[in-house]
Amino acid sequence: MSIELHTNDGRISITNEVIATIAGGAAIECYGIVGMASKSQIRDGIAEILRKENFSRGVVVRQEDNHLHIDMYIIVSYGTKISEVAHNVQSQVIYNLNQSLGLDIDSVNIYIQGVRVAKD
Amino acid sequence: MTVQTLDAKTFIQMVLAGARHLKNNADKIDALNVFPVPDGDTGTNMNLSMTSGANEVKKIANDDVSEVAQAFANGLLMGARGNSGVILSQIFRGFAKGIDNKKHLNANDLATAFDSGVKTAYKAVMKPVEGTILTVAHDAANQAVKVANREKDIVRMMEQVLQEAKSSLKRTPDLLPVLKEVGVVDSGGQGLVTIYEGFLAALKGEALPEEENEDITMDDMISAEHHKLAQDFMNTDDIEYGYCTEFMVKFEQDKLADHPFDETAFRDELSEHGDSLLVVASDDLVKVHIHAEYPGDVLTIGQRYGSLINMKIENMREQHTAIVGKEMEKRPKETKAAYGIVTVATGSGLKSLFESLGATVVIKGGQTMNPSTKDIAEAIEKANAQNIFVLPNNKNIVMAAEQAADIADANVAVVPTQTIPQGISALLAFHPDRNLQENKDMMDNAKMQVKSGQVTYAVRDTTIDGMTIEKGHFMGIADGKIKATHQDKMETARALLADMITEDDELLTILQGEETSDSEVKQLVDHVEKTYDDVEVEIHRGNQPIYAYIFSVE
Repeated sequence: MSIELHTNDGRISITNEVIATIAGGAAIECYGIVGMASKSQIRDGIAEILRKENFSRGVVVRQEDNHLHIDMYIIVSYGTKISEVAHNVQSQVIYNLNQSLGLDIDSVNIYIQGVRVAKD
Repeated sequence: MTVQTLDAKTFIQMVLAGARHLKNNADKIDALNVFPVPDGDTGTNMNLSMTSGANEVKKIANDDVSEVAQAFANGLLMGARGNSGVILSQIFRGFAKGIDNKKHLNANDLATAFDSGVKTAYKAVMKPVEGTILTVAHDAANQAVKVANREKDIVRMMEQVLQEAKSSLKRTPDLLPVLKEVGVVDSGGQGLVTIYEGFLAALKGEALPEEENEDITMDDMISAEHHKLAQDFMNTDDIEYGYCTEFMVKFEQDKLADHPFDETAFRDELSEHGDSLLVVASDDLVKVHIHAEYPGDVLTIGQRYGSLINMKIENMREQHTAIVGKEMEKRPKETKAAYGIVTVATGSGLKSLFESLGATVVIKGGQTMNPSTKDIAEAIEKANAQNIFVLPNNKNIVMAAEQAADIADANVAVVPTQTIPQGISALLAFHPDRNLQENKDMMDNAKMQVKSGQVTYAVRDTTIDGMTIEKGHFMGIADGKIKATHQDKMETARALLADMITEDDELLTILQGEETSDSEVKQLVDHVEKTYDDVEVEIHRGNQPIYAYIFSVE
């Protein structure tokens, strides 16, 4: 699936993968996030921290009649105010997608899949 | 003055001074906010986080620095707002961890605490972005560790830590390109420097005289907040419980033996004596706030458990009468004007030009320094009129202006002017005898009749609108599009005017920039008069920064 934009000079199509990568990139720069988790964690019951090169697997882009929704599966650091971190991710993802792709996102849903306690 | 050990009392003062200093500077920090999301709220968020931390610290009655730091960290965590707030909470969580179980701190301990704070803060992020509050905290902590090796005086150490924090802050634009582009330092980093400034001031004892004041204002704010409703909806006679009573009880062991303290039972008992009850208890103190009709009874109950301290009893009926009286006095005097105009400009000349044309409030701002929604909302309030026009004069400010219009009480119409010349034209079209809609239509129309041009210099190499522009060269911009570029200012101005002026145009207004000399302007005027026969030239000294010239052609 991809998003299509029509301009005077032609058509631009952006695949969901691109959107997921940009959203993931924005999220991991966000303070308090220690990783992205695979959305399919239910299978093995343990939130698996994804490697950098495939963190887009923790992002699901959904299109519902011209509305864009993003689900993000994240792992946060223990001892942070998690609600605020999640909120920061939302605004950062929306801002970054708007800046780089000019897309308006209708919702960014955050699924906190794990809390990691930092080692001393 | 040398300080070799830092005790809990001093540390509390440091935290409070840091919070107060941050609060005073929150607006300035908001203005710097461009990263990660340029929404202009860093100062506000950090202030809210810090206030929450400081409030926890105020509740502490303990001699251990570690306890104070722990309370501070908890308060920050609970109140963390925004990215910078979350980071701040982590820095001080690590800080508190670094001084576990210490009663006092020497210079070495403090350095360890700073270092531990930074280490913890970096652990909570997968991909730290440098050139932010993290970098400033990191550089400052490194300096602390380095200095603590030879310096035993905490004041001198903190001086050097602050100095390094400041230089680190100055370097943030080199690390984070978006900061450089906009020409600001990192807002979160600025916030941290501000807090450290407060720390140092308290260490030196410079801010201490104001300390008591702050306590009162904080309390007053809380009281004012919950008394406000009463004033709006009540008659003085309707106040059932007449005395706002606040006190603390310091527990005494022999009294506790007779009357063991149970917070819930204590609260229940007090609640029968009044309303607006707040009870906060710790191991050796309980703080009470209540509105009661017989404050003496309440104090007696408290006295069963220990001795009373910090008592404050106020007669709310008296206060209410005074406030209502004041309101009565104030209101008839301040008859609101029919119209007010709020606009945005930078430069002393532009400000007085707009004022002379009838603007009620001119907000300082423009390119690279957009006023926030809050600034505009405050200006609307200040204009104090029934109908208010907002002329943002910059396309990046239009949205903030519209948001401000939404939340304002008055009738507010935004005329979305995108440039200073559009703002001037719109203002000239305003007529107080017409109604709001007619005026808005006229102003909307007027702003379209004028062509706006600006001459400024490029901050970096770039290619826009098919033109290659080198850093340091001048660009001529007509209504948002770059039309001319040249290394010479005069050449750029001429080329821009050649693009803008057509046969139908009659008037060129030149707004002279801060850094533009009179002789340059004269040269340009000579050129225009020679080249364009039918065009009259008008010159105003706008003293605007960034733009050497602003042209208005109509």
